[in-house]
Amino acid sequence: MTTQNVTDRSVLTELTIPARIRRAAVDTNTVLWRDTIRTLRQPDLLAFSVVMGVFFLVLFNYVFGGSIGAGAGIDYLGFLVPGVLVITALQGAQQTSLGFASDLTEGVTNRFRSLPMSQFAVIAGRTIADAVRNIVGLILVGLLALIMGYRFASVGGAVAAIALATGIGYGFSWLGAAIAAKVRQPDMVGMLSMFWLFPLMLASTAFAPVETMPGWLQPFVRYQPISVAADAVRGLANGMPAGSDVLLCLAWTAVLLVVFGPMSVRLYGAESQ
Amino acid sequence: MDTMSITSTTIIQAKHLRKSYGDVAAVRDLSFTVKAGQVVGLLGPNGAGKTTLVNMLSTLLSIDGGSASVAGYDVATQPDAVRQLIGLAGQSAAIDEKLTARENLELFGRLYKIPRVERQQRIEQLIERFDMTEFADRVAETYSGGQRRRLDVVAALVSNPPALFLDEPTTGLDPRSRAELWAAVEQLASRGTAIVLTTQYLDEADRLADEILIIDRGSVIASGTPESLKRNLERDVLEIHVGIEDLDAACGLIGEVPGLAVDRDAGSIGIPVGEEVDRSLDMLRQLQDGGISILDFQLRRPTLDDVFMSLTGSPATPEEVSA
Repeated sequence: MTTQNVTDRSVLTELTIPARIRRAAVDTNTVLWRDTIRTLRQPDLLAFSVVMGVFFLVLFNYVFGGSIGAGAGIDYLGFLVPGVLVITALQGAQQTSLGFASDLTEGVTNRFRSLPMSQFAVIAGRTIADAVRNIVGLILVGLLALIMGYRFASVGGAVAAIALATGIGYGFSWLGAAIAAKVRQPDMVGMLSMFWLFPLMLASTAFAPVETMPGWLQPFVRYQPISVAADAVRGLANGMPAGSDVLLCLAWTAVLLVVFGPMSVRLYGAESQ
Repeated sequence: MDTMSITSTTIIQAKHLRKSYGDVAAVRDLSFTVKAGQVVGLLGPNGAGKTTLVNMLSTLLSIDGGSASVAGYDVATQPDAVRQLIGLAGQSAAIDEKLTARENLELFGRLYKIPRVERQQRIEQLIERFDMTEFADRVAETYSGGQRRRLDVVAALVSNPPALFLDEPTTGLDPRSRAELWAAVEQLASRGTAIVLTTQYLDEADRLADEILIIDRGSVIASGTPESLKRNLERDVLEIHVGIEDLDAACGLIGEVPGLAVDRDAGSIGIPVGEEVDRSLDMLRQLQDGGISILDFQLRRPTLDDVFMSLTGSPATPEEVSA
């Protein structure tokens, strides 16, 4: 009977490359199903990623908005909302990092590693689930902006802005996954994200125009991914020409995926001990 | 296929396995085989290398030296094939706390690529067979320790694997849950599953394992059936129960005997007497002549505790060996 068990299994040779890709797709879908259930059971995570955006939107607009806006001679809410959308998407990336790190400590990933499944799918499914949650968060922050008096230039612009923000957030999700796979401790991951998230976030054009910053900092601020994304999203949301910023933003997204995609899969596969 | 007929009985095979972390050898030169329907118990204290061994056999850890196979497939070079054939439960793997039992089983069943209809039938069967109906639709983080462990083991059974690794499956369980899990393991073995069971509990290995490997610091220090391990000790124990007030006098009369065990709370003395019946009778007569009233006595076979004690010089109870 056991002999039967052994010989009956059809796919006992190592897989060909097309079969591996097919398996990765099927498994990603399964992991996405799992992570979507988890997202729905933890609405606090969605709240957490939205809260940061809400916080920045309200704080910067009502507290700093007057001085920054007057100083630069711009309508500050129109400047701020697209920046906050990008920051909100970035929060989603941080949650990929935290969620994946806690998966790694709970040991469920050890079971995944003992299963005949694509290990790439474990991260791919999670990042996609986080991107879906991100879209919901972005829509909520966008609605708050509408309530505060912000107006998107067009519906198409709003959709494109949210899509682009989701894209750059997705790229950063893989960075977050790589950090989690390397560090493997949720506390430590939370601390570390302060180091990359906050400088990138604050030394960017998300909250203030680059001209208001010191000259030596301007080259960095102008071309770092958060600024590029903020400028691109701003162009799309406000109906201004943004072609080159959009291309640059897509390029940054691609760079993040190309660098941190393989890296996080490799780090995840590495032995923990 | 010639190889198939050979491997049809031997399911799990480990040959001279080695694993080091830096300078520390976690597993050194471990070899054993597990046949279909056989339970091999790996018995040893924390840090003996049991989990490292299980993790190597289940493709979670790379192998530094030696080789291992499951149903003829090499663990190092054919991990995908091996993963189709094994189930893993216990310390080494876990379940998803935010999903229900049914969802957990669905998740793992899907990842094993079991076709939908077959998968759903199988999940229902498992839920029924392992008496999980009552909590199958509750989120796993609400489970008791016993329910969680049961789901953990059942999750390893979704694919009906011919080889099962149970890494300390009953650590921290209450006696009732332990007994239920033991019954499940016996049932699986009787259906032909090859099982590797690691445990710190002597009674568990004694009860479940057909063969026991006693592991200390990464190597096998003794192996055999529970019976033969105990027999090889070649010393029956004469256990004499005297009153607590007579204990010191009795010990004085017996004198120096290697391996003498005195239990002051119970007022009993365990004397290794070998297989010589005369020696036991002499001992009893000596005590009686010395005016000690013997309340009770029995001649018993050594337990695995005695075996472990004599091999390692320390008891195997986890509380005392938590290194």
